[in-house]
Amino acid sequence: MHVDVWHEVGERNVGRAGLLLIGLIVLLAIFAPVLTPYSPRENTSTQAFSRPSADHWLGTNDARQDIWTQLLYGARTSLSVGFGVALLSGFISVLVGGTAAIFGGLYDRFWMRIVDATIAIPDVVVIILVAAYLRPNVLLMILLLSALSWPGGARVIRAQTLTLKERMHVSAARTFGAGWSHLLFRHIVPDLAPVLVAIMIQDARRAVFMEAGLSFLGISDPSVMSWGKMMQYARVFTYLEVWKWWLLPTGLALSSTLIGLSFTGYALESALDPRLRDRDDHAEGGV
Amino acid sequence: MLNIQDLKVSYDGALILAGVDLDLLRGDSLAIIGESGAGKTTLGLALMGLGEGRVSGRVLLDGKDLTTLDEVARRRIRGKEMAMVFQNVEDALNPIMTVSDQIKEAIDVHRERGDPGYVGDRVRRLFRAVGLDEAKGRSFPHQLSGGEKQRALIAMALANDPQVLILDEPTASLDAVTKAEITRLLRERMENKIALVITHDISTAARLTDKMAVLYAGRIVELGDTQDLLGSPRHPYTRGLIRSSPNMTTPKDLQGIPGRMIHGVSGCPFSDRCTQRIEICSEAVPPLVEAGGRLIACHRGGIVPLLELSRVVTRFGGLAAVDGVDLTLYEGETIALVGESGSGKTTLAKTVIGLFDLAEGEMRLEGEPLVRRDRDFYRKVQMIYQNPKESISHRMTVLDAVTEPLLIQKVGGAAERIEIAKRVLEEVELSTDEAFLKRYPHQISGGEAQRVAIARALVLNPKLLIADEPTSALDPSVQAKILKLLLDIQEKRGLAILFITHDIALARKVSDRLAVMLKGKIVEEGSAGGVTTAPIHPYTMRLLEVAPDLDPKGRGMSGPWAVPEGPTIRAREF
Repeated sequence: MHVDVWHEVGERNVGRAGLLLIGLIVLLAIFAPVLTPYSPRENTSTQAFSRPSADHWLGTNDARQDIWTQLLYGARTSLSVGFGVALLSGFISVLVGGTAAIFGGLYDRFWMRIVDATIAIPDVVVIILVAAYLRPNVLLMILLLSALSWPGGARVIRAQTLTLKERMHVSAARTFGAGWSHLLFRHIVPDLAPVLVAIMIQDARRAVFMEAGLSFLGISDPSVMSWGKMMQYARVFTYLEVWKWWLLPTGLALSSTLIGLSFTGYALESALDPRLRDRDDHAEGGV
Repeated sequence: MLNIQDLKVSYDGALILAGVDLDLLRGDSLAIIGESGAGKTTLGLALMGLGEGRVSGRVLLDGKDLTTLDEVARRRIRGKEMAMVFQNVEDALNPIMTVSDQIKEAIDVHRERGDPGYVGDRVRRLFRAVGLDEAKGRSFPHQLSGGEKQRALIAMALANDPQVLILDEPTASLDAVTKAEITRLLRERMENKIALVITHDISTAARLTDKMAVLYAGRIVELGDTQDLLGSPRHPYTRGLIRSSPNMTTPKDLQGIPGRMIHGVSGCPFSDRCTQRIEICSEAVPPLVEAGGRLIACHRGGIVPLLELSRVVTRFGGLAAVDGVDLTLYEGETIALVGESGSGKTTLAKTVIGLFDLAEGEMRLEGEPLVRRDRDFYRKVQMIYQNPKESISHRMTVLDAVTEPLLIQKVGGAAERIEIAKRVLEEVELSTDEAFLKRYPHQISGGEAQRVAIARALVLNPKLLIADEPTSALDPSVQAKILKLLLDIQEKRGLAILFITHDIALARKVSDRLAVMLKGKIVEEGSAGGVTTAPIHPYTMRLLEVAPDLDPKGRGMSGPWAVPEGPTIRAREF
């Protein structure tokens, strides 16, 4: 079954479009230094607010910086936050959801109440509060967003593990004396893989969105270029023509990333067990 | 009264009888059973003073030590006080003398003066006593049938009304009907004598004697009341003997005893073939001591109870799926747990192995209470499941699956684990070539998958195997092979098996004992033969009624049946 799911995602148009978009943006981010001669903070010799040209594909901003370059490096920030959160949050989800299902009892109840509590807390408020007191940087952002996004995934993983652990091969492994880590990582996670990836894509999408939003609000590492920050700067100059090649491409880049992730996630989820489609998705929401 | 004290016989330095003690009173009948070479016949010959080896120890007949007597004195006792019926019917009679002459001779040699009238009368009475036509007395041995020859030999042994009668394989080489007649005759003639029946035929021994001694490599390993001993053997060798002898009482397939008998093993003579041996067994000879109304020579006190369940209760919510079960499973034994689905069989199995929590009661493994199940527990107890393909992860190859328990238990390095896995795969009769080892569960047949599952359960060398409907997902022909395999493995390893099935016809073929479960309780328990031939509980009768048979008008067609209210727990002796 594990092979079919990925195959099906590739077969669907939505899935194919999503993967294509993400692939494109990942390539742009990886090859950023090759695709531009400038660095994102470099004040070029070109005039401020210059129109797109051969030297500056998307013109320059008020500080004579190359907007195309900023867009490329902004993608790096968005994607690394997205991937970082997906990995960390996914790992915590598996660990908490999986062990809660395996051990059950008091341990399970304890963690599920923690999950409830975490979901009930408005994320943005927490992040703004924490970021206001700590010096925001990319790593802190990943940790914070992960801390807020794992509970939704943990619930799904727990539910899935509860059914998986009744499978006979898992029972058999238990009767060889296997501990929880063997059960979880050898028997359950492999069968969870498609669900887990769906959860991680949701987490990533949300993280990219949140990161952009927070940067827009000024909660970000000042030394790192990001799409949210670009949009915030560009917003000031909307009375000029510059928004066409400053604000618009940034917004489009962000939207494409989100759409790419959404499409892939959607295709994956509908390719999975139909029951998952009715799932009450707590991962939705945001700013 | 016959007292045998520390009787030893050696041939060329090899100790054939290694110290036998027996006390027999008039009226006692004792069977000496054991494999050939155990020293049974040597014992008989030594008692008669006919043995060729060096004899030591004492044989007291009414207080008189026979071993110190000279040959002349022995001869006077032989045939008069003690008589023996020899094993080989063909060779024991003189071919050139008529039968009645030979019997007359037996009487004459012990009489001072001849009195033909008395002797002739005595011979006639003997002929009547052994049910032989007097006319046959004029025949030569080759003119008689086997049964008639045996009767003549018995008449010879009885000629002088001896106090001690030794019968060496009295019914060997006789057909079943003749055997039954001779057995009845012997039983009558043995009354009021000290009778020793030397045989490897357990059913003859059972019919002839009240007491039974099991001889192994020149030592008595178990001695007790015949019925009691056969019904519940306590020494592993006794159980092995019973299992390997065909009879109508035990429905389980025949199983042998691994290895062969070797004289002069250090420590317990049976230790190298015993599946429950511990260190001391190969170091010291166990003394024959009394235990539970029986004499037994075993360092472990006989077959050890492996798993003891008392008042076991498993609850789901408020409902007790297993409701107070008492069960004891001995080393190397199979108990079949029979009942309809929902009776709590699988729940009980899963409670034992720790997949379900015990609500009340106690479980003991090898005498130790089972509180928590650590890795060591799973080295001793393993389980195989109903659906082999589901019990093996679809992401694991045959080799991955079989080495998984070793990996979990951290046994050896990767190479050693593969080595062990291959050995066990061979034991379950599976291929060990690379192509097979790399197959996934969906690429092999159901029977192969169950063999893989069995191999996987065996790699840790457990003492107890729980088999939960291991063959119900398989074809009948494959099922038969898998069951045969399980019995063979049990024979080789001394594995105890808790066999769960809804099929009582199947259960009786594989189990020593049967426990019938209904609504979470064991309603009847006993030997597989006893439960299936003379069921007590109505539910057992019902199960037997609907059990598969090949008679088109057979049972299994009876009308609806209601579970009786308040079924009682009824355990049987054997």
